[in-house]
Amino acid sequence: MVEHVVDSWRPLAAVLISTVAIALIVASHRRPNVREAWSVIASVGKFAIVASMLPGVLDGTEYRWSLGMVPGLDGEFVAGAEFALRADPLGMLFALLASFLWIFTAFYSAGYMRGLDEPNQTRFFASFAASLSAAIGIAFAENLVTIFVFYELLSVATYPLVAHDETDEARAAGRKYLAYTFFGGGFLVLAGTALVFVLTDTTTFGATAADLAEADPALARAAFGLLAAGFGVKAGLMPLHSWLPDAMVAPTPVSGLLHAVAVVKSGAFGVARVVLEVFEPDLVGELGVGLALAAVAAFTLTAASIIALRADRLKRRLAFSTVSQLSYIVLGLGLAGPAAVAGSGTKTVIIGGLLHIPAHAFMKLTLFFCAGFIHVETHTDYISEMDGIGKRMPLTMAAFAVAAAGMAGIPLVAGFVSKWFLLIGAVEANQAIFAVVLLISGVLNIAYFWPIVYGAFFESHDDADGKPLVEFPLGGRASGGASAGEPKAVADGGAADDAHDDDAAATDEHQEGGHHDTADHEHAGHAVHSDDQHEDHDHHGGPPPGGWERAGWTGAEGSWLMLGPILAIVAGAVVLGVVPYQAMFLELIEVITEGVVG
Amino acid sequence: MTETLLFVGDLLTSQYTYLLVAILLVVGLYIVVASSNLVKKVIGLNLFQTAIFLFFISAAYVQGGQSPILPSEGAGEGLYASPLPQVLVLTAIVVGVALTAVGLALIVRIYSEYGTLDEETLREVRADE
Amino acid sequence: MSELLPALLIVLPIIGATLPLGVGLLRENVGWSIAALVLSVEAGLTAWLATAVYGGEGATRIVHVLGGETFGRRGATENFVVGIELVADAFSGLMVLLVAGVALGVLAFARRGGPRGNAFYSGYLLLTGGLMGLFLTGDLFNLFVFLEIVGLTTYGLVASDRDAESAVAALKYLVIGTTGASLYLLGVGYLFLRTGALNMVDVSRSLAGEPEWIDGALYGDSLVLAAFGFIAVGLMTKAAIYPLHTWQPDAYAAAPDAVTVYISALVSTGGAYAFARVTWTVFTPEFFAVGQNARILELVIVLACLSVVLGSGLAAMQRRLKRLFAYSSVSQFGLIVIGVCVAVHPAGGTQATRLAVYGVVIHLLGHGLIKGGLFATVGALAHGTGARRVREYAGLAKRRPFLSGSMAVLGLAIVGVPPTIGFLGKWYLAVGALNTRLWPVIFVVFASTLLTLLYVARLLEKLYFDGPAEGAAPAAEPEPEGPGAPGGADGAMMTDGAGSLSYGMIALAVSAAVLTVLLGFAGSALTAAAEPIAQAVIEAAPEVSAGG
Repeated sequence: MVEHVVDSWRPLAAVLISTVAIALIVASHRRPNVREAWSVIASVGKFAIVASMLPGVLDGTEYRWSLGMVPGLDGEFVAGAEFALRADPLGMLFALLASFLWIFTAFYSAGYMRGLDEPNQTRFFASFAASLSAAIGIAFAENLVTIFVFYELLSVATYPLVAHDETDEARAAGRKYLAYTFFGGGFLVLAGTALVFVLTDTTTFGATAADLAEADPALARAAFGLLAAGFGVKAGLMPLHSWLPDAMVAPTPVSGLLHAVAVVKSGAFGVARVVLEVFEPDLVGELGVGLALAAVAAFTLTAASIIALRADRLKRRLAFSTVSQLSYIVLGLGLAGPAAVAGSGTKTVIIGGLLHIPAHAFMKLTLFFCAGFIHVETHTDYISEMDGIGKRMPLTMAAFAVAAAGMAGIPLVAGFVSKWFLLIGAVEANQAIFAVVLLISGVLNIAYFWPIVYGAFFESHDDADGKPLVEFPLGGRASGGASAGEPKAVADGGAADDAHDDDAAATDEHQEGGHHDTADHEHAGHAVHSDDQHEDHDHHGGPPPGGWERAGWTGAEGSWLMLGPILAIVAGAVVLGVVPYQAMFLELIEVITEGVVG
Repeated sequence: MTETLLFVGDLLTSQYTYLLVAILLVVGLYIVVASSNLVKKVIGLNLFQTAIFLFFISAAYVQGGQSPILPSEGAGEGLYASPLPQVLVLTAIVVGVALTAVGLALIVRIYSEYGTLDEETLREVRADE
Repeated sequence: MSELLPALLIVLPIIGATLPLGVGLLRENVGWSIAALVLSVEAGLTAWLATAVYGGEGATRIVHVLGGETFGRRGATENFVVGIELVADAFSGLMVLLVAGVALGVLAFARRGGPRGNAFYSGYLLLTGGLMGLFLTGDLFNLFVFLEIVGLTTYGLVASDRDAESAVAALKYLVIGTTGASLYLLGVGYLFLRTGALNMVDVSRSLAGEPEWIDGALYGDSLVLAAFGFIAVGLMTKAAIYPLHTWQPDAYAAAPDAVTVYISALVSTGGAYAFARVTWTVFTPEFFAVGQNARILELVIVLACLSVVLGSGLAAMQRRLKRLFAYSSVSQFGLIVIGVCVAVHPAGGTQATRLAVYGVVIHLLGHGLIKGGLFATVGALAHGTGARRVREYAGLAKRRPFLSGSMAVLGLAIVGVPPTIGFLGKWYLAVGALNTRLWPVIFVVFASTLLTLLYVARLLEKLYFDGPAEGAAPAAEPEPEGPGAPGGADGAMMTDGAGSLSYGMIALAVSAAVLTVLLGFAGSALTAAAEPIAQAVIEAAPEVSAGG
């Protein structure tokens, strides 16, 4: 395919449109309707600009903007790197996804923030717009230095969103978030970028692999390790994932769009750039780093699924699910190395990995939006309180069920297609062990999503089965009251940390609800108590005294401002699963793999 | 062994000024560090600087030098005192005097406020506030 | 005509310094106006000089010989300079721009916030003159004199609000600063003893063994090595490198706000500049390539690394804002000194030298701008709300959105978040270090980002995500207009209890922040400006002239 590059201001416009919106949002902080209108306008505008480049990109045109196009500047940002944006197929994939989903999130977050009457809404919407700017910048960055610029800006822009609540817990989560992301960005990615620059004298994507192949293999491996780990922090690769569950303290639209789509995907996207364009699959395979990356990803996706089994707070379970699902993407990319060496399956694993970016985004966004909607309407955050909630929120839980099915890889929903490619690719690349891991993980996915769906539709509040996984300590139920006063963290290393988080999370929830109940910790004396359980059955979480009211299937369950986006996105997830080729993403991904593998 | 002896002998006979400078330098620095009296600190500083001035002056006393401004024919004979270091030292002395003045002025103000010149006492007084 | 400029730049503020005192006998409070007038003219002259230096191809080296050609270098290069040379080249040309800019900018702050009185403005002008001299001189002994002029006026200005606290800090500064300058002088004495010259270019040539009366290069001479040791220690004291930094937190914390802004932006910068100048153009990389000379360089690097780590650590532990940022300077100058050493370290090739030189030059400028801006913000917030401690900053963002915004931008810039000039400096220092393959140093340089984040993040969290603590701060008086009016709140607060916040202060803080970001995109212009310096260091040439 003949690439041809056109100078264009459109990539910059796509980045800057939401930056301009920040100013307008701040300026109209007194009029919420106008303020939210700016968000929506910016999101639609952003998507329109990005989409306008799609036909060209599919035909092999790349739109490029650099600082040099500003009169009087010569474009060089630092020696050896221009400040340049280029809309290429891979970048389009991420940009299209982020900007498209922002439109729905803009509506949803307006509904969510108003529904809860949150403070500091102006700062929230402004930071949100800034985050989107940075995300699009990451998508279109032409070289490692430019991507680093936006990667850091994204960390900065999302920090206010994580710490939004201004509670002690939110601030702690914010601190942790900053520490992790700056360790990933300002330290690891920067060091990796510098190392690549020193080894090759350039950082432009697609221009470095040849020089890296000739460099000292130890240094080249170090550069790969630094870059992969640095982007891996945001992609939630273990052991650098722990900011992600904590960051769930943020308002749900943030958890949804940023921590399931823009932020975490920027990490995964960074890994994609590194594997596909900085090192390229052949070199990744030769250096042996692809297998290492795939191994880390395989470990992460299994371990995170197991942890998710025991999380009672819905958003927390979703967070660990995110950690797990992101590793599918990384796994696909990591396998590209061994596959390139084996000579078969490269294309398949890359398609699988990349397709999981949009697939997971649609599904996880649905799940988060459902969780947020439940929170707004019923103030219920814990799975153990959700039995029978399908009666109260039928449409929401139906959407939840569809998205969860997709997560598990059930056909006709988005998740199936990408997992299928990954599975086939892993076998083709002679790495069948990873195929086994994928299958096991699929089972685990069902194991942690099915109880929610089952409980919601087929049980009722006063007549629910026990939930041994989340209620009992690991290793089985201790007899009688003996476990009551004992230190609870025994033989439960993985969850000890969670317990702390969840206690704090419970506190937070109270503050959101307006009345603070410090009796939380006294519940430690209960007979059956798991570390991860939310014991505090207070008045504003869970069903009202008479059980859930029944709401019809016509949308009586809550504001359409939130329900609408949920249904739209879940529909998108189904479209991706049924007719993947018509949904643009797969076509785009094939163009990408053509470019990489040839 | 003999080399060391020769070196020491050379130092004591023809280069004793350097020894003197070194001693003054160390004494001055010691006073600055060890004395807790602020005025003595400034005195130590002066001593330290004076040592450096002497060092420059002794360096100006060269065998077979010649005037830098009006070169004579060929190298000069005998001892010759270069004017340049002396000019430098003159400048440095002026700087040193100015420093002493500023330092003493500050000390006067400290004394009038806290009523002490002793660093230890000063620390206690300020910690109380 | 442009040959006169370097001298004029020094003489004008020094003569101007007599005016506030002289005219002050007749009229009260003329100091500010006179200083503003003099410094405006000075800024114009500086701009003229910069055009003259950078106007042509590469960078022109403009030399002014004090006393005229009679005492200067005559004819062939064999004849050494007797008089004092003032040199405006690519390096000093950039730095005087910074001086002129900051000097004028701080006046905006001092009009309402600074110490009043004509004597203050005399000192202020004298300090500006001294700094101009420090950057422009081409003579080692003259450098000492200007170091001391800068030092003396700084001691005076630190104590200029006439409170005893600042007098103690100033005296501590005086004792340590003078010791440092004297050690520098001792080092210069050693060099003079060995080469018979004081002009930087001449000393450099003699060390290289160029003149016919010297047998070969003097690089192996232990006297020269000792000279470098003394000079390094002396100038590191001035630049506040660990363990010689102890004067800095006290001096910055006790000085009046306007003075802190000025000295934090320029005075340590002067020390670091002098160190770079002497290391690069007098000793040159060739000196360090000989024998074991690189070891002494590594010793300096170790101290600089300690400075980076401990400076950040101590900064994170401070409760008072001004001390916090003072320790931050200790850390940042550690980075700069690392860069200076990396540029001449034999382990790095030409690429390491080039990149490290870029890094040092850009970070010198960038740090001056950022740190000055930070102290201006701290000062303005203190004038507006009385908050001087970290805990008093809780929730200030709602009351002072513009100043808080500046602090956020400048704070992130010092962390090295792009696109700011802080990132550019750090990037070049990092890739420069990376080229030497000195792994521990490289680790420290990269880790410095995280270390800096320690204290910046703490501050930003306080500012933005913490409600005012109950009963904690006398600063937390309710505002007349309430938190809903961020736009107008800043300016309208001149009547507030603690204060005298002025539009000038806000303008200074905000423009520093804006400039920091804008310069983040001027990477190619900055490296082009630094290229002649890099070229000179690579070629071990004592004269920074036309590059390319």
